[in-house]
Amino acid sequence: MFKPVSFDLAFGQSLLISGPNGIGKTTVLESIAGLRDLQSGGFSFKDSNLDKNKDIWFESSLYIGHKTGNKKELNCLENLRSFLQIQGIDVSETQAEVALEQVGLAGFEYQMAGSLSAGQKKRLALARLLLASFPIWILDEPFVNLDIAGCAWLLAVLENHLNNKGILIITAHDNKTIKKAVTQEIILEPVEI
Amino acid sequence: MKPFLALVKRDLTLGLRRKSQIYQPLVFQLLVVTMFPLGLGSGARTLALIAPAVIWILALLASLLTLDQIFKNDYDDGSVESYVLTSYPLPLSVLAKILSHWLLSGLPLVLFSPIIGVLLHLPSSSYGVLMLSLLIGTPIFSFMGSIGSALTMSLKHGGLLLTILVMPLLTPVLIFGASAVVEISLGNSASQPLLLLSGLLILSITLIPFAAAAAIKINLE
Repeated sequence: MFKPVSFDLAFGQSLLISGPNGIGKTTVLESIAGLRDLQSGGFSFKDSNLDKNKDIWFESSLYIGHKTGNKKELNCLENLRSFLQIQGIDVSETQAEVALEQVGLAGFEYQMAGSLSAGQKKRLALARLLLASFPIWILDEPFVNLDIAGCAWLLAVLENHLNNKGILIITAHDNKTIKKAVTQEIILEPVEI
Repeated sequence: MKPFLALVKRDLTLGLRRKSQIYQPLVFQLLVVTMFPLGLGSGARTLALIAPAVIWILALLASLLTLDQIFKNDYDDGSVESYVLTSYPLPLSVLAKILSHWLLSGLPLVLFSPIIGVLLHLPSSSYGVLMLSLLIGTPIFSFMGSIGSALTMSLKHGGLLLTILVMPLLTPVLIFGASAVVEISLGNSASQPLLLLSGLLILSITLIPFAAAAAIKINLE
């Protein structure tokens, strides 16, 4: 689909993957996250090759994709806690409540995720960022569906993460907002046949 | 909390809230079993003769109704990523999914089977073996179904394909399960078919989580 890409990120740096619709931004992100295997090439993290054993990568990275991973029949608190518990991260109810308040879902703790708006569902998924202390964040279009206040909040969270020596790998339509924060950009180009 | 338990707890909560996964197979069984006396039109003896096979076939078909849901919902809403993108072994998470599916769909079938037995005039001496054979056999349905569900989770209407994939794998379970009930109703020992069923269950527990985990990985490509 696209020409070969390569990148090298240090802690505290960020990468924006951009390109036209359908070029494969999500594919790149899913490969980085570990959902897909690469057709060719490889990844290494902290000097260890990730081709055979991705555990060290899974233990330090958090991926939030297009599908938010929320369960319709669970309320916000249950969704947030169960998702992280399944990944082996224990979160107390109070911690989860604080995170929900920070993403602007105060008062929705016991509301079923199925009845939330698209933007609120996104916020619920993004609340995981605040609770899992992973250094690497891989986010697919995190600004989609968020309102202006939500975008500003997310941008502040991302900048804070980078200031704390985190790594951010992101795709975004609204490049102007995010470009202020990123240190590198890859523009995917189609392969000429 | 261990990821395994967290996943089981989440799935049980979901199942108890959705409810359809629990009552659908039971209602289906009840509806179909009432058709048999109407269609056969003969007395209790004929019904008792076919009862073991009918109960087991009904259990098989009722299980098939819910098998595709093991992974499909998680794939559709993206929560499958929560147990794929983690260092916790995927086969263990798969085992948790299978266990919760069985608790929600298989166990009710086992507990409900005496009622189906009564409706088919099953001899009273057979009930113990009937329930025991279903207790060993229905988990195998969930195990085999997990492979089918993992392979078809990305399809919109994968139900029929899943049935075609899984049905041949389930025939031995049906053969041994039904023959255990037949043997006991004829006054013979049912231990041989029950032991063979147990063997199948152990084989499923040890091998299938790995196969289903591989199928999930393939499907996410």
